[in-house]
Amino acid sequence: MIKIFIIIFTIYFTPNIFSAESAPCGDYGECDDYSYDLYNLESLQKGLATYINYCYGCHSLKYSRWGRISVDLEIPEEILFENLIFNQETKPGDLMTGSMIKRNAEEWFGVAPPDLTLVTRSHSPEWVYTYLRTFYEDDSKQYGVNNLVYPGAAMPNVLSHLQGKQVLGCKEVPVIAPNGGVKRDENRNDITEEKCGYLKIKESGELTQAGFDSLIYDLTNFLVYVGEPAKRDRERIGWYVIFFFLIFTALSSLLYREYQKDYH
Amino acid sequence: MNTVFKWFNERLPIVNTFERHLSKHPVPKKVNFWYLFGALASVVLIIQIISGIWLMMPYQNTEEGAFSSIEFIMRDVDYGWVIRYMHTTGASMFFAVVYLHMFRGLLYGSYKKPRELVWIFGMTIYLVMMAEGFLGYVLPYGQMSYWGAQVIISLFGAIPYIGESLEVWVRGDYYISGSTVSRFFALHVVALPLMLIALVFMHLVALHEVGAGNPEGVDIEAHLDDDGVPLDSVPFFPYKVLNALVGIGVFMTVFSIIMFFFPEAGGYFIEKANFEEANPLSTPEHIAPVWYYSPYYAMLRAVPDKLGGLIVMAGAIAILFVVPWLDRSKVNSIRYKGIFSKIAISLFAISFLTLGYLGTVPVTELRTLMSVICTVIYFLFFFLMPIYTSLESTKQPPERL
Repeated sequence: MIKIFIIIFTIYFTPNIFSAESAPCGDYGECDDYSYDLYNLESLQKGLATYINYCYGCHSLKYSRWGRISVDLEIPEEILFENLIFNQETKPGDLMTGSMIKRNAEEWFGVAPPDLTLVTRSHSPEWVYTYLRTFYEDDSKQYGVNNLVYPGAAMPNVLSHLQGKQVLGCKEVPVIAPNGGVKRDENRNDITEEKCGYLKIKESGELTQAGFDSLIYDLTNFLVYVGEPAKRDRERIGWYVIFFFLIFTALSSLLYREYQKDYH
Repeated sequence: MNTVFKWFNERLPIVNTFERHLSKHPVPKKVNFWYLFGALASVVLIIQIISGIWLMMPYQNTEEGAFSSIEFIMRDVDYGWVIRYMHTTGASMFFAVVYLHMFRGLLYGSYKKPRELVWIFGMTIYLVMMAEGFLGYVLPYGQMSYWGAQVIISLFGAIPYIGESLEVWVRGDYYISGSTVSRFFALHVVALPLMLIALVFMHLVALHEVGAGNPEGVDIEAHLDDDGVPLDSVPFFPYKVLNALVGIGVFMTVFSIIMFFFPEAGGYFIEKANFEEANPLSTPEHIAPVWYYSPYYAMLRAVPDKLGGLIVMAGAIAILFVVPWLDRSKVNSIRYKGIFSKIAISLFAISFLTLGYLGTVPVTELRTLMSVICTVIYFLFFFLMPIYTSLESTKQPPERL
């Protein structure tokens, strides 16, 4: 009887209960897949370079230190200082507090650009990866661009010369039947309808689409690293700790069995 | 016995205490895995105390310093991330084992005569833990710390007459600020841990006085050998200690998997919004408590009136205290209780878990309806307990274990 109740309960309520969430990537819907690779130093280094060149002017990384990045990303301090640090007074132990004065920023942009040290943790790597690739031309906005993931974002698309001009367009998409399959006509051709809100490149930029995606991959990868610099160590050390407790469990259960013989 | 030990033992009851509470303390020889969670809770308590002490050293209890000192711990303190994740994982695991420990109590009637006081001390521990967890969650001073505290403290405002002054008194300010953080810090690291330790001590002293229960509900004191030792018992040390050790090994493996690979547990142990510093000017899209409060949060939201919600929420916890007097059954264990008890406890468990889920997601009309239904079931489980436990026919439990 309990089982019957549970079954009815599950069938009736499950689809309704779980269906109220808004999509994780705003108007874009589901975010694009992303998997970080913290052992890919080249990618992390490229991501750092992109960040310093395009983002750091406005977005600080105020919980992170230059020296730590130099060690973790295996960039010799001289090279880091020569190529990526523009302030002569900066020391390796300094926090990456950025160069923009908050009051100015508020005046220029309406809101101060947020610190991005923890952005992959407060959102997700998938979110960041998708967000950076979904800017499109929109004349009604202050900077002439809008974003699908975060509509109304008060940020100019600083990477547009690399990506090219992206616009929202329409395209023919297959009509999906309620059972999840594609609807077909009597000649077994897919039935399509025009749907809008799709991103397309109107004018190509300096990079190909794959090249741009890879740039954003590296940038996001770097942001995953900087969100939690200990993550690589954590996942490495974790295996040893788990191994220790498995041995501990095995030995203690052998000992327990031995002692159990006393009263069985 | 060497002379130094003898000197101490004549002045301090070392051997006596060891024998009375460990090597000669009789415990039922046959229990199941449900009886491990008490030991696991004490392991987590120790983890929390030790990791807490280390966290305290670099933590700054100020409005400006709180959030960034946590990031300082995560980045600049050697193995600071280990200590911090130990504490955050420990907080959730503490509740997980305590919920299972409490459910064991309900399943096997661990609260029944003569163990009423053990149950009441345990419930008080749970109450203090809830306060402790809440205070601790405010300390990192992220968005969810701030807005969670805002919601919870504003509940005091629903109390008639004294509500508003009470709110200010709790916060130490007219809004949540540095004074709130520093007083919550004092309570979190000194006042409540002292209470917890004292209560755990009383919980154990009372337990050792009346003896541990077992899943059959058999009174092992009824059959003694010539020395007055229960026939169906084994000494706590080393037998049960070794048994617990196996449980601790398994538990710590799970603990480590979470701590090293999923410390945020998908946003349930550390919520995503808490990676943003507290900002009084921007409310997060969706305020949800940590999972271990969410059943009560769902109850709060199920009632349209704030004071009503507060009463329901407080009632839901208060009613647990009187369970020993609500259960009129002749038998202790669910194994020998009747069909009504079995249905009731299943419905109770389902509705508690459902409330737990509902408390973590945004409100919709259907979800509010579900919360109301589950809250009613939750209370009916207790209100009807005197009736169904005394009316139903029970099976005869065995004489011996």
